[in-house]
Amino acid sequence: MIPLNLPAMAEAERPFITRVRGRRTGAAEPNESYLVDETPEGATFAGPHGLIAIDGVAASDLDGDVILVQPLDAGRAEGTNGAGGASRAERVLRAGSPHNTLLVTERCDQLCVMCSQPPKKTHVDRFGLFEQACLLAEPGTLIGVSGGEPTLYKDALCGMMERVLTARPDLEFHVLSNAQHFEREDIERLRNPLYRKVSWGVPLYAAEAALHDRIVGKDGAFARLEESFAALLMAGARIELRTVLLSSNLDALPALARYVAVRLRFIEVWSIMQLENTGFAKNRWPELYVHHRDNFGPIAAALDCTAMQGVPAQLFNFPRCTVPQPYRHLAAASISDWKRKYMPGCDDCREKGQCCGFFEWHPDDDALAGVSPL
Amino acid sequence: MSAGAALLPMRARPLGDGQVLIVGDAGRFFAGSVDFLDRLDEGALSAPDMAFLAGEGHAIREGDELGANAHAYGVAERLTRAGPLDYLILVPTLRCNLSCSYCQVSRAGLKQRGFDWSDETLGAVFNLLDGLPGDRIKIEFQGGEPTLRPDLLRAVIARCERFDETQFVVCTNLHELNEEILELFDRPDLYISTSLDGDAETHNRNRTGSAVGTGQFLGNLRAVIDRYGPHKVSALPTIDPANPPDIGALIDSYAGFGLDSIFLRPINYQGFARKRHKESREQGAAWRAYHERFLREIIARNWADRSRVLEETYFSICLRRVFQPGRDRHVDLRNPNPMGVDYVVIDHDGTVYPTDEARMLSRSGVIDLSIGDVATGWATEKRDLLNLHATNQFDPACQRCTYQPYCGRDLVDDIARYGRVDMPRLETEFCRKHLHIYDFIFRLIYEEDEATCYSLSRWLRLDGTPPALGTRLA
Repeated sequence: MIPLNLPAMAEAERPFITRVRGRRTGAAEPNESYLVDETPEGATFAGPHGLIAIDGVAASDLDGDVILVQPLDAGRAEGTNGAGGASRAERVLRAGSPHNTLLVTERCDQLCVMCSQPPKKTHVDRFGLFEQACLLAEPGTLIGVSGGEPTLYKDALCGMMERVLTARPDLEFHVLSNAQHFEREDIERLRNPLYRKVSWGVPLYAAEAALHDRIVGKDGAFARLEESFAALLMAGARIELRTVLLSSNLDALPALARYVAVRLRFIEVWSIMQLENTGFAKNRWPELYVHHRDNFGPIAAALDCTAMQGVPAQLFNFPRCTVPQPYRHLAAASISDWKRKYMPGCDDCREKGQCCGFFEWHPDDDALAGVSPL
Repeated sequence: MSAGAALLPMRARPLGDGQVLIVGDAGRFFAGSVDFLDRLDEGALSAPDMAFLAGEGHAIREGDELGANAHAYGVAERLTRAGPLDYLILVPTLRCNLSCSYCQVSRAGLKQRGFDWSDETLGAVFNLLDGLPGDRIKIEFQGGEPTLRPDLLRAVIARCERFDETQFVVCTNLHELNEEILELFDRPDLYISTSLDGDAETHNRNRTGSAVGTGQFLGNLRAVIDRYGPHKVSALPTIDPANPPDIGALIDSYAGFGLDSIFLRPINYQGFARKRHKESREQGAAWRAYHERFLREIIARNWADRSRVLEETYFSICLRRVFQPGRDRHVDLRNPNPMGVDYVVIDHDGTVYPTDEARMLSRSGVIDLSIGDVATGWATEKRDLLNLHATNQFDPACQRCTYQPYCGRDLVDDIARYGRVDMPRLETEFCRKHLHIYDFIFRLIYEEDEATCYSLSRWLRLDGTPPALGTRLA
């Protein structure tokens, strides 16, 4: 696993954004901090915000990363510190990685039964810092935005993306959102051509309102979602529809596919996602998890339905050897590098490079049972 | 009808067996029973009826804004949006080394002068390529026989280096093959398209006129397939409906070369065919019966041998248009079908035509359908006038036709056969042909036969085979 949060000490008293580099060889860039000392314990950098000492990582691994440094006092004062009150450096945009996500809030207005990132009550506004980070992104980067529910702060979110995309037309955003907050009034704003660079990953778990509402833990969520979809369609928004596979919605998948093919034809792609063994799903694993190898029928029927109607679909978090051959080409290498692992048997597999592998926290007994190198 | 929901327009056509095919404006369809029609007629639709119709996008419940928007989106998806010019059909020479009985282009003799691109024309083609807005290009080299001028092909291909995505198709009779031509063919983005009329005897009769010539062609076809694999080569049989080849022998000759896609084409009423094959103006019941027998035969073969999938290319195009709007770039069947927008034909003398058929028709002296020339452009009044009629949306017969969302418009075909574009639609060959194909498609869909479903699923490019491809309402 690649660590995203590192213990750090900083001279500055307020949080700040900087890009860390190796030793300085030419003129200093205004937003960069350069390596000044390296020991087996960590590396020290100096830049416009003073000294930063980061532990537990080699300087070469950080070279080019855009980090958010959260000094001790600021962390305490704002109560945001996931690392237990110590000051730290968050690797917001890792150089060369296609998997970078801004966690813009931890608040959410749904309580999904399998939530991988259970929400918190408090919110710390870091949009300003994230905006600075985005402006330092490597050319052509796709930046993920996640939460919590980012559109709880819809105006701040949209403002940030609009300013960044105006300054940096080479960047793109992918925002994970429960789409409970879009309305007709947003259509004009979302029609701005800047939003061709923004796609929204929106979850829908079933075509039956009651089942969807039960899974997301919110009455009326399905109806509100349809309202948002009506606006997003008219805005020409780019949608990646997401359905996490659960014991409760497996058999409802073909009906959902039909719903998608009739009512959500405007989406770019439908992602059917296997469960991640973390957050709420960890304790409910036996009751939620579908052994898809033994239950592929409803998934196949759903995929045939959308393919027939010309709606593209893909399988996320399905190791390729666990998917029947005709559908294997739909299984994408979907798991982010920093939380991905492979099993010992995977080394001999010809399709390892195209395979998602497993989540770092996937139960080994289940995974081992599943691997059969191709 | 229950209160609080509105039915959307639906058109009906008998399917046989007491069933009626119902199609909405967005092209979604189902088979309804006669009972259902009665309930509809009497305003006595049940709650399950309404749930079905709303779920399938044939009715909108009150306040269902998503349903209303999705319907509008579905209707819009059925309309072609022609993008910027990115497809050129180029005729670098009209000269040819064969003289086929139904030649569509009014060819020129091998030694004739003045039928090749001049330096000026080549220069104008370069200017055109340099000025294209997009980053992809498809070029089809037609003729005459384009391989008579490999130098021109090379020059054009070299000029396309700046595009991110390139595809070249050389339409050749494969009569002559030499090192220079093979070197050109070696490019991975180049495809070969040729004619194979069936067994050697048929090909001989229609095309080469000699066993030696046919042998030479078949040898060359084998050589390019051995060298590149069948994926690089496509072949079309031109069928004389008055004397069609044996179906089994035709399929065998294609399958023998590893060619799985067969684009069955009746003689086009163009070029020399107008004089020598007068009966080709209308295709008639015999042709349609032949086409059906052909489809039945490949369905049976696909079921018997799952290792390969044979298909009739045009049938597959029509089938995909039923289910998958907007996915097909086949320019002969789309709606609207604007001309001189996203693709054009540039003739041997630099004249620009909207389609290859328009070029043939003009060349035959029937009507001048040129819309400009490559040096000065083709954004002409004549082009715009043609395009006023390039849609089936407002044709009174099409507006009542169940298959309108799947169908297209081909002005040039109407002009070729009837000399006018305002024929009552139902009296045109284009209409009869497509009514027949779509009737046949829906018959196959609702036969719900395992072997048929298997082939249809392959032609729709599905990974699996669903138990049924169409829904029903009892």
